[in-house]
Amino acid sequence: MNITIDGKSCQCEKGEYILQIARRNGIIIPTLCHHDGFPGQGSCRLCIVEVNEGSGPKVVVSCVYPVSKECVVFTNSEKIRKQRGMILTLLQKRAPESEEIKAFCKMYGAPEIDRFVKVDNSKCILCGLCVKACTELSVGAISTINRGITKEIATPYHEPSSVCVGCGSCAYVCPTGAIAIEETDETRTIWGKTFHLVHCTSCGSVIGTEEELACAAQKAGHEPDTLCGPCRKKELAKAFRHTYGEIPAE
Amino acid sequence: MQTEKEKITEILQSYPREQRYCLAIMQDMQKQYNYIPKEGMEELAEYLGCPLSSLYSMATFYKALSLKPKGKHIIKLCDGTACHIRGASNLRDGVKRILGIEDGETTEDGEFSLELVNCLGSCALAPVMVVDDVYYGKVTMERLASILNSYREEGESA
Repeated sequence: MNITIDGKSCQCEKGEYILQIARRNGIIIPTLCHHDGFPGQGSCRLCIVEVNEGSGPKVVVSCVYPVSKECVVFTNSEKIRKQRGMILTLLQKRAPESEEIKAFCKMYGAPEIDRFVKVDNSKCILCGLCVKACTELSVGAISTINRGITKEIATPYHEPSSVCVGCGSCAYVCPTGAIAIEETDETRTIWGKTFHLVHCTSCGSVIGTEEELACAAQKAGHEPDTLCGPCRKKELAKAFRHTYGEIPAE
Repeated sequence: MQTEKEKITEILQSYPREQRYCLAIMQDMQKQYNYIPKEGMEELAEYLGCPLSSLYSMATFYKALSLKPKGKHIIKLCDGTACHIRGASNLRDGVKRILGIEDGETTEDGEFSLELVNCLGSCALAPVMVVDDVYYGKVTMERLASILNSYREEGESA
């Protein structure tokens, strides 16, 4: 089936999310809490679009809105820009230190409203992407704690987690750079815990923390890696060459 | 007498090892200790095989669960609209003067904890105070002192 996004006809399957279809067709919809690896957060509301399925336009959150019938979508109408600006104003009050949000605010001309109180020194918009990444990819060391205005992302009891493997997935997916991660040549510190880094035995680049490699090895059911990604490819290429012979250069 | 660990184990083993029972187990621990001890949380995570973080998230979300030790007697002081207008904040000051505790705090002797709540559904009796599930309506400053004293004496005579 086909839907029309910003005047462009896009082919899609029933049940696909509008954001997914738009991105595939090169139409940019701004997002913060969306990550291709962990879709379906729907918490930042930045990706709102106007959809008309025949019964008049309505505003939906494109990252969690599946298409069910042919429709016309506008991702950047005046109404959407205005609402997005307001959402950005609120997000900026929540995370005034975030450079990413500042840039978005400028882009969408987010209004400056004084009556909302800023959350001091915060970069976090509480989207929960880090929690999802940690739970699905790693060990579930962090979660949202408390609720309402005291809600935050932290480890249990605000203590260094006993299960955290220091993989840094949480910091990697964070859209606003809110999770502090410090790295030296030998160590990585995250959530108040310091880990020893393991280096590639071939080229010496960092491949991860000891705990992270052990955790990954246990999940995959083999010995922990000793090589970095590129070096492992080189090793594989050697094996290929052995099997298939040298490919003549053209 | 059972040790604390045995008691926790007993609570755990009265439920199947399924994550959907975690809230019920936490409520039982809350009932047993008036709060959920850290060991209890850790044992529960191990028993159910789920991350401690998700249990901690739940325990901090629900107001009925507490991670800090609570006093023997729990004072719930209503500060909903009706009680607020009829002087709940005076009572709050009164409790602070008599027991020296604010919202969410516990007295040093472990006798009383104060919780401010938003409505107890007894607005006709405003201002309302509940001590250990006993409702006291139309509380005045004079009555406040005598109510709190009665719990004190009860503790001493027992």
